[in-house]
Amino acid sequence: MAEPFRIGDRVRASRVDPPHHTRLPRYARGAAGTVTALLGSHPLPDRRSRRLAADPEQVYAVAFTAGELFGEGDHTVTIDLWQSYLQPAAAEPSGAAAATGDGQ
Amino acid sequence: MGRINDVGGMQGFPAVWREQDEPPFHADWEAHVFGINSALISRGVYNLDEFRDAVERIPAQEYLAASYYERWLRAITMLLAERGIVTEEDLADG
Repeated sequence: MAEPFRIGDRVRASRVDPPHHTRLPRYARGAAGTVTALLGSHPLPDRRSRRLAADPEQVYAVAFTAGELFGEGDHTVTIDLWQSYLQPAAAEPSGAAAATGDGQ
Repeated sequence: MGRINDVGGMQGFPAVWREQDEPPFHADWEAHVFGINSALISRGVYNLDEFRDAVERIPAQEYLAASYYERWLRAITMLLAERGIVTEEDLADG
Protein backbone atom coordinates (compact mmCIF):
# COMPACT_ATOMS: atom_id res chain seq x y z
CA MET A 1 0.00 0.00 0.00
CA ALA A 2 1.35 3.43 -0.99
CA GLU A 3 2.07 6.25 1.43
CA PRO A 4 -1.06 8.17 2.38
CA PHE A 5 -1.69 11.43 0.53
CA ARG A 6 -2.44 14.83 2.03
CA ILE A 7 -4.81 17.58 0.98
CA GLY A 8 -3.28 19.44 -1.96
CA ASP A 9 -1.24 16.48 -3.20
CA ARG A 10 -1.31 15.79 -6.93
CA VAL A 11 -2.32 12.22 -7.65
CA ARG A 12 -2.92 10.09 -10.73
CA ALA A 13 -5.70 7.52 -11.08
CA SER A 14 -4.91 3.98 -12.15
CA ARG A 15 -5.23 2.97 -15.79
CA VAL A 16 -6.36 -0.53 -14.87
CA ASP A 17 -9.56 -1.71 -16.56
CA PRO A 18 -10.69 -4.33 -14.05
CA PRO A 19 -13.01 -7.24 -14.95
CA HIS A 20 -15.10 -6.60 -11.83
CA HIS A 21 -16.88 -3.88 -9.87
CA THR A 22 -14.88 -0.73 -9.20
CA ARG A 23 -15.61 2.80 -7.99
CA LEU A 24 -13.04 4.34 -10.33
CA PRO A 25 -15.00 5.52 -13.38
CA ARG A 26 -13.60 4.84 -16.83
CA TYR A 27 -13.42 8.53 -17.74
CA ALA A 28 -10.98 9.19 -14.88
CA ARG A 29 -8.54 6.36 -15.63
CA GLY A 30 -4.99 7.64 -15.94
CA ALA A 31 -6.05 11.23 -15.14
CA ALA A 32 -4.21 13.52 -12.71
CA GLY A 33 -6.08 15.43 -10.01
CA THR A 34 -5.72 17.11 -6.62
CA VAL A 35 -6.69 15.72 -3.22
CA THR A 36 -9.26 18.09 -1.70
CA ALA A 37 -10.50 16.12 1.35
CA LEU A 38 -9.91 12.99 3.41
CA LEU A 39 -13.09 10.90 3.62
CA GLY A 40 -12.21 8.27 6.20
CA SER A 41 -11.31 4.62 5.77
CA HIS A 42 -13.46 2.08 3.96
CA PRO A 43 -12.99 -1.43 2.52
CA LEU A 44 -12.08 -1.50 -1.18
CA PRO A 45 -15.30 -2.25 -3.12
CA ASP A 46 -13.29 -4.03 -5.82
CA ARG A 47 -12.43 -6.71 -3.26
CA ARG A 48 -15.60 -6.64 -1.19
CA SER A 49 -17.73 -7.17 -4.31
CA ARG A 50 -15.82 -10.43 -4.81
CA ARG A 51 -16.11 -11.52 -1.18
CA LEU A 52 -12.36 -11.07 -0.69
CA ALA A 53 -10.92 -9.81 2.60
CA ALA A 54 -10.76 -6.02 2.47
CA ASP A 55 -9.25 -3.99 5.31
CA PRO A 56 -10.41 -0.37 5.47
CA GLU A 57 -8.19 1.98 3.51
CA GLN A 58 -8.11 5.76 3.11
CA VAL A 59 -10.62 7.31 0.72
CA TYR A 60 -9.99 10.75 -0.79
CA ALA A 61 -12.02 13.39 -2.59
CA VAL A 62 -9.98 14.08 -5.73
CA ALA A 63 -10.77 17.05 -7.98
CA PHE A 64 -10.05 16.76 -11.71
CA THR A 65 -10.32 19.57 -14.24
CA ALA A 66 -12.74 18.99 -17.13
CA GLY A 67 -9.82 19.67 -19.45
CA GLU A 68 -7.88 16.77 -17.93
CA LEU A 69 -10.85 14.41 -18.14
CA PHE A 70 -12.58 15.45 -21.35
CA GLY A 71 -10.16 17.73 -23.17
CA GLU A 72 -12.43 20.76 -22.77
CA GLY A 73 -14.65 22.61 -20.31
CA ASP A 74 -14.07 24.95 -17.36
CA HIS A 75 -15.60 22.93 -14.51
CA THR A 76 -14.06 20.39 -12.17
CA VAL A 77 -15.28 16.90 -11.29
CA THR A 78 -14.65 15.61 -7.76
CA ILE A 79 -14.61 11.83 -7.30
CA ASP A 80 -14.32 9.75 -4.10
CA LEU A 81 -11.35 7.46 -4.71
CA TRP A 82 -9.69 4.75 -2.62
CA GLN A 83 -5.96 4.73 -1.88
CA SER A 84 -5.49 1.66 -4.12
CA TYR A 85 -6.69 3.61 -7.16
CA LEU A 86 -4.08 6.35 -6.76
CA GLN A 87 -0.38 7.00 -7.07
CA PRO A 88 1.65 10.22 -6.93
CA ALA A 89 0.97 12.27 -10.07
CA ALA A 90 4.67 12.40 -10.85
CA ALA A 91 4.75 8.64 -11.24
CA GLU A 92 4.08 7.00 -14.58
CA PRO A 93 0.47 5.75 -14.79
CA SER A 94 0.67 2.01 -14.62
CA GLY A 95 -1.36 -1.13 -14.80
CA ALA A 96 -0.25 -2.08 -11.31
CA ALA A 97 -2.34 -4.77 -9.69
CA ALA A 98 -2.80 -2.52 -6.67
CA ALA A 99 -5.83 -0.83 -8.21
CA THR A 100 -7.84 -4.02 -8.18
CA GLY A 101 -6.55 -5.06 -4.81
CA ASP A 102 -5.03 -8.20 -6.30
CA GLY A 103 -1.60 -7.24 -5.09
CA GLN A 104 -2.52 -7.33 -1.41
CA MET B 1 -13.51 -4.34 -20.33
CA GLY B 2 -15.71 -1.42 -19.39
CA ARG B 3 -19.14 -2.24 -18.08
CA ILE B 4 -22.38 -0.86 -19.50
CA ASN B 5 -23.09 1.16 -16.35
CA ASP B 6 -19.84 3.10 -16.74
CA VAL B 7 -21.01 5.71 -19.25
CA GLY B 8 -19.85 8.91 -17.51
CA GLY B 9 -18.58 11.41 -20.08
CA MET B 10 -20.05 9.44 -23.00
CA GLN B 11 -21.83 11.36 -25.76
CA GLY B 12 -25.10 10.47 -27.50
CA PHE B 13 -27.55 9.96 -24.63
CA PRO B 14 -30.63 12.18 -24.40
CA ALA B 15 -30.63 15.03 -21.89
CA VAL B 16 -31.06 14.10 -18.22
CA TRP B 17 -34.69 14.76 -17.32
CA ARG B 18 -35.43 15.61 -13.69
CA GLU B 19 -38.97 14.88 -12.50
CA GLN B 20 -40.63 17.60 -10.41
CA ASP B 21 -41.51 16.41 -6.86
CA GLU B 22 -40.40 12.90 -7.72
CA PRO B 23 -41.88 10.31 -5.32
CA PRO B 24 -39.52 7.68 -3.80
CA PHE B 25 -41.34 4.97 -5.75
CA HIS B 26 -43.51 5.08 -8.87
CA ALA B 27 -45.29 1.79 -8.11
CA ASP B 28 -45.76 -0.53 -5.13
CA TRP B 29 -43.59 -3.24 -6.65
CA GLU B 30 -40.62 -0.83 -6.59
CA ALA B 31 -40.99 -0.42 -2.82
CA HIS B 32 -41.14 -4.21 -2.44
CA VAL B 33 -37.93 -4.58 -4.44
CA PHE B 34 -36.27 -1.96 -2.25
CA GLY B 35 -37.41 -3.76 0.90
CA ILE B 36 -36.34 -7.20 -0.30
CA ASN B 37 -32.88 -5.89 -1.17
CA SER B 38 -32.49 -4.18 2.22
CA ALA B 39 -33.48 -7.39 4.00
CA LEU B 40 -31.12 -9.58 1.98
CA ILE B 41 -28.19 -7.21 2.59
CA SER B 42 -28.92 -6.84 6.32
CA ARG B 43 -29.22 -10.64 6.61
CA GLY B 44 -25.80 -10.98 4.98
CA VAL B 45 -27.00 -12.95 1.95
CA TYR B 46 -24.84 -10.55 -0.09
CA ASN B 47 -23.25 -7.17 0.56
CA LEU B 48 -23.88 -3.81 -1.11
CA ASP B 49 -20.81 -4.08 -3.32
CA GLU B 50 -21.87 -7.53 -4.55
CA PHE B 51 -25.27 -6.05 -5.34
CA ARG B 52 -23.72 -3.19 -7.32
CA ASP B 53 -21.52 -5.71 -9.13
CA ALA B 54 -24.60 -7.73 -10.06
CA VAL B 55 -26.38 -4.66 -11.46
CA GLU B 56 -23.32 -4.02 -13.61
CA ARG B 57 -23.31 -7.63 -14.86
CA ILE B 58 -26.79 -7.36 -16.40
CA PRO B 59 -26.35 -7.91 -20.16
CA ALA B 60 -25.94 -4.53 -21.88
CA GLN B 61 -29.12 -4.63 -23.98
CA GLU B 62 -31.23 -5.55 -20.94
CA TYR B 63 -29.48 -2.99 -18.77
CA LEU B 64 -30.15 -0.13 -21.17
CA ALA B 65 -33.81 -1.12 -21.66
CA ALA B 66 -34.55 -1.53 -17.93
CA SER B 67 -35.77 1.05 -15.43
CA TYR B 68 -33.87 1.70 -12.20
CA TYR B 69 -35.80 -0.80 -10.05
CA GLU B 70 -36.10 -3.30 -12.89
CA ARG B 71 -32.30 -3.43 -12.74
CA TRP B 72 -32.48 -3.95 -8.97
CA LEU B 73 -34.90 -6.85 -9.35
CA ARG B 74 -32.78 -8.41 -12.10
CA ALA B 75 -29.65 -8.13 -9.90
CA ILE B 76 -31.42 -9.59 -6.83
CA THR B 77 -32.73 -12.61 -8.74
CA MET B 78 -29.32 -13.09 -10.37
CA LEU B 79 -27.58 -13.17 -6.97
CA LEU B 80 -30.19 -15.48 -5.41
CA ALA B 81 -29.92 -17.91 -8.34
CA GLU B 82 -26.11 -17.86 -8.21
CA ARG B 83 -26.20 -18.72 -4.52
CA GLY B 84 -28.66 -21.52 -5.08
CA ILE B 85 -31.33 -19.83 -2.93
CA VAL B 86 -33.84 -19.82 -5.77
CA THR B 87 -33.95 -21.76 -9.04
CA GLU B 88 -34.99 -20.66 -12.50
CA GLU B 89 -38.13 -22.76 -11.93
CA ASP B 90 -38.96 -20.87 -8.74
CA LEU B 91 -38.63 -17.58 -10.58
CA ALA B 92 -40.76 -18.78 -13.49
CA ASP B 93 -43.49 -19.83 -11.05
CA GLY B 94 -43.47 -16.39 -9.47
